[in-house]
Amino acid sequence: MKFGLFYELQLPKRPGADGWDPDAERRIYHEMLEQVELADSLGFDYVFEVEHHFLEEYSHSSSPELVLAALSQRTRNIRLGHGIVLTPPGYNHPARIAERLAALDILSGGRVEFGSGESSSEMELGGFGVDRGLKKAMWEEATREICNMMAQEPYPGFDGEFFRMPERNVVPKPIQKPHPPLWVAASRRETTMVAARLGIASLGFGFETPDELGERAQEYWRLVREECFPIGHAINPGLAVLSTFMCAETDEEAVRRSANGPGFFAYSLGYYYNPLTGGAHQPGRTNIYDRFSQLPTEQRDGREQLAGARLMSRQEIASQEPEDEVQRALFRAARSGQAIGTTDTIRRNISRYEENHLDVLVLVAQCGDRQHDHIMESIERFGREVLPEFKERHEAEHRPWREKQLADVDYSVNSSI
Amino acid sequence: MARFDQIKDAKIRDQAAAAHGQLRAGKPADAVRTLADGFLELLSDHPEVMKVSTQVRGRALPVVARWPALGANLVMGSGNGQTPRIEFVRDRFAVSEALTYFEFFVDLAVGQGL
Repeated sequence: MKFGLFYELQLPKRPGADGWDPDAERRIYHEMLEQVELADSLGFDYVFEVEHHFLEEYSHSSSPELVLAALSQRTRNIRLGHGIVLTPPGYNHPARIAERLAALDILSGGRVEFGSGESSSEMELGGFGVDRGLKKAMWEEATREICNMMAQEPYPGFDGEFFRMPERNVVPKPIQKPHPPLWVAASRRETTMVAARLGIASLGFGFETPDELGERAQEYWRLVREECFPIGHAINPGLAVLSTFMCAETDEEAVRRSANGPGFFAYSLGYYYNPLTGGAHQPGRTNIYDRFSQLPTEQRDGREQLAGARLMSRQEIASQEPEDEVQRALFRAARSGQAIGTTDTIRRNISRYEENHLDVLVLVAQCGDRQHDHIMESIERFGREVLPEFKERHEAEHRPWREKQLADVDYSVNSSI
Repeated sequence: MARFDQIKDAKIRDQAAAAHGQLRAGKPADAVRTLADGFLELLSDHPEVMKVSTQVRGRALPVVARWPALGANLVMGSGNGQTPRIEFVRDRFAVSEALTYFEFFVDLAVGQGL
């Protein structure tokens, strides 16, 4: 199992404030650069950064290609992942995405991971005039053509349903051939299965449990072997799962430092993706953190949630989980403390993912109003005391297992896993 | 994890198999049509499925209402004698859209023990 860090670049407002401190955005961007630089030096494998627009407080990461470009010059080995790029043409012209991916791949020495998606928040869809009912079709058409643009010389042109362009040679071309490894954002099980059939790695935003992951992995790999018709020129079979993360000297201290990060992450995500609240958002005026603060303590305070969750049996937690898949993901984002604790606690919890053949565990460290020095210490502890043994087993056990899964697959594979 | 050959009802299984074949043949729009027909037949043959609900944002919604709205949209009937229908708002469908309908259809059938 490999490890990544995940960044939304969250920036909650202060209670009662209309805006942010003048230095706040500069601060979180530069803190992220420092955190990823440290993670790279300790052997973390991936950083994934989102592309979101207008989702103030929840995500101030609207130009991941620039942040990843900065990281390409400050890191040596860590893979630079778009987690994800919005590919419907209303957000980004497909040729511009192909050009930027290739440039970043060159600047980073071939370390780009091409994650794609479509978003479903009204703030973004409405902001760019993207039709909700067509966004999946747009994603597919554009993602397929972006792969063609990176792989074909010249690109013969395209007359599609959602964009058209004449023959052009889209330059530069990426270092990785035929194109960087493909990922897709998957918050529902069915999207993970669609990913398998299209030969794409699933960047699971559902906070799946190890048991669920095990079940999905079995079906995912069967589909890759038996029913894959790739969207790109090379497949990237793989499964990643998100988990909130805070590592400290004691479990109690990790929970304290985790603070309300997971709670705010889940709340603000649910706020924007629920059409009732997200659709009524008043840009520049709503203070989401204030609304979050008004929740009952048990729903808001990450410390109590996590401490409470630790005292409950797995069955008790399961009995409280919402039935709806997306709501369940939000519940887990707030309450799942599998990567929160001491190195021993985290090692024990995440081993179950490894047993179920997870490829990449993506850790959400920066969320809510967590402190930079706590995140740095967390990365350092985990990187020094936990990560090395998993990496060793990845090479010795998981890589051969993957090769076995792919033994009868005829398609070419481009994967960093 | 559901597979279409796990569907017990031969008629529903045949619909799923036909859609599967159309998907493999690169005909996603045909697959969506087949699945839409199959879905309506499933509801007609097994009306009890209409009563199954799931919690969405704290509200109980019929599980059939989760049929994806990707261009072959479900219109629930109201009042006595009104049956659900599928309204096609466009003719072309992407592979990923057809696959999403396929996954939903198979999961629903297997999940309800049909």
